[in-house]
Amino acid sequence: MDTLQFLADGFAIAFQWHNILFALIGVIIGTAVGVLPGIGPMSGVALLIPVTATITSGMPTGAAAASSIILLAGVYYGAMYGGSTTSILLNTPGESSSVVTTLDGYQMAQQGRAGAALAISAIGSFVAGIISLIGLVLLAEPLSNIAIKFGPAEYFSLMLLGLAAVSGLAGKSMTKAIMMTVFGLMLGTIGIDAVSGIARFTYDQPILFSGLEFLTIAVGLFALGEVVKTVLEKDEETGSIAKINRILPTKQDMKDSAVPIVRGSLMGFFIGVLPGAGATLASFFSYTTEKKLSKNPEKFGKGHIAGVAGPESANNAASGGAMIPLLTLGIPGSGTTAILMGALIMYNIQPGPLLFDEHPEVAWGLIASMFIGNLMLLVLNMPLVRVFAKIIQTPKKYLLPMIIAISFFGVYAVQYTTFDLYLLLGCGALGYLLSKNDYPVAPLVLALVLGPMIENNMRRALTISNGDFSIFVTKPLSLIFIVAAAAWLLVPLLLKLKGRKIIINEED
Amino acid sequence: MNQKFDRVAGIAFLLVGILFFIESQKISDSAYGSSVGPKIFPMGLGIILTALSIRLLYETFKYKTEDTAKEKLQYKKFFIIFGSALLYAFFLEKVGYIISTFLFLLIAFQTLERGKIIYSIIISTAFSFGIYYMFSELLGGSLPGFPLS
Repeated sequence: MDTLQFLADGFAIAFQWHNILFALIGVIIGTAVGVLPGIGPMSGVALLIPVTATITSGMPTGAAAASSIILLAGVYYGAMYGGSTTSILLNTPGESSSVVTTLDGYQMAQQGRAGAALAISAIGSFVAGIISLIGLVLLAEPLSNIAIKFGPAEYFSLMLLGLAAVSGLAGKSMTKAIMMTVFGLMLGTIGIDAVSGIARFTYDQPILFSGLEFLTIAVGLFALGEVVKTVLEKDEETGSIAKINRILPTKQDMKDSAVPIVRGSLMGFFIGVLPGAGATLASFFSYTTEKKLSKNPEKFGKGHIAGVAGPESANNAASGGAMIPLLTLGIPGSGTTAILMGALIMYNIQPGPLLFDEHPEVAWGLIASMFIGNLMLLVLNMPLVRVFAKIIQTPKKYLLPMIIAISFFGVYAVQYTTFDLYLLLGCGALGYLLSKNDYPVAPLVLALVLGPMIENNMRRALTISNGDFSIFVTKPLSLIFIVAAAAWLLVPLLLKLKGRKIIINEED
Repeated sequence: MNQKFDRVAGIAFLLVGILFFIESQKISDSAYGSSVGPKIFPMGLGIILTALSIRLLYETFKYKTEDTAKEKLQYKKFFIIFGSALLYAFFLEKVGYIISTFLFLLIAFQTLERGKIIYSIIISTAFSFGIYYMFSELLGGSLPGFPLS
């Protein structure tokens, strides 16, 4: 009954009026971010960190962290709702996780069933959100109880596994992905070493003593990188928006999509828990599964409602599932959760098994607020879907400079140095060049966040073993993690040698 | 895949890796109570990145470049906006948030699409004043104000 008690406490926090407001702002901005092609959940969350940091600056640390993370997580799962809107109405997915939704969703819109498609994806997302939250509630406590027994060697190997998983699945070339990971780890070593107090790679520049600010790099690489891309490559004009006639789905629609929603939710949740595999992969898997299990697979691609319901539930469930490794183990499994983790660390709150003991208000407040946020999304999305569809028409001319200005404001308001503004611009250009040439930037950000923790755990483990590296393979749990990490990198390589096509995970 | 870019990037990362390795040797190794100092981790990273860069360079010789249709990139617009963003960063503390933001937005709006100057002015003004007053007056944050205040 402990868990229920904690959950009740969480609801008490989530129901504070300012936290309800934060969740509401979060999901609205998230939906907008999802609808706007070009800004993904990752840049959306990164851009809002400074804003939330300022809004919450007057509160005590714990409450401030809880409120910010409530807002930021709202953006994350809100974007999963919003991403489907453009897929269905315009045939252009707002997020990579909504790509498969275009297959049947746009067809439905062509047949005048846009409203039903949008409604079913909202309902599916809601059910998925709730299912994944129940999973989160059930798994969080036991998992963190296991994780609390981990020593530094286990932690080191587990983080290695996390990095391997993300590099193994990101992008087309694994060499490039691992290079990005290592580069991110390198950037993380700049500054004063936390253990010995020795300055590394600072060259007597005081500005470097505290290290490169994670926020600046994340905003630069993702948000500005996207802006640079859109400025340089003029997009073709988007097509006309399909009309929305009736919003409520018919009884037959509901019947057709009930099973895919549940199946998609469960599958999405478990895929989301795995590090590296995110919402995009989940939606893709759900679509192929529905097609395989369907009695009439030829209907798919021609506007079958199950082809919308399944993937849309899956991607939302995956975003809930991705919270599990973040909250219980302190290891983000994707780019967006890495940024959420960076936000928590900014408040001096370390995600991981101790989070549930030391800051229950953050962990359970967030979980409870996700229940509320999902409900808000359902209520908002059904009647307001027409309004959100309008956001797509925001002219790029005004949008792009404003994104630059917001990132400038955000970075400057937190850092108060012009150095970070130059760094931001540099990262923007770099982010464009790298991602254009298939160098994935998500592993870089993830490595930058995990780097100092990996190093400290490695050194602590080696101190215990007096410098003997075999500690990582003699501890059984640590060995399992290392073997899994190696397998994650080697298996795709072997499959490639055999000429099999591998599914890769686009950044989400 | 862009072979040229991959080669340049491969060499660049190779240099970064080697430099990182050399520079890590300068980090003092003394860490009392521990046999592992602050040097080992960066040194290892330098070695791994060097090895990976060599691997990437080797890969660039294996695949053939596919002839991709040259996209026309809008370099002019990009450089104007990037340049004005640099100036924005440079002048932010000197002339204050409102003026620099207003000018940057106005230039960027007009660069992306000429015309409708009235709209551009209204939006730039609203944005720069809006953010400044919301942030400094309502939330009590601090941004550089006007130069003479």
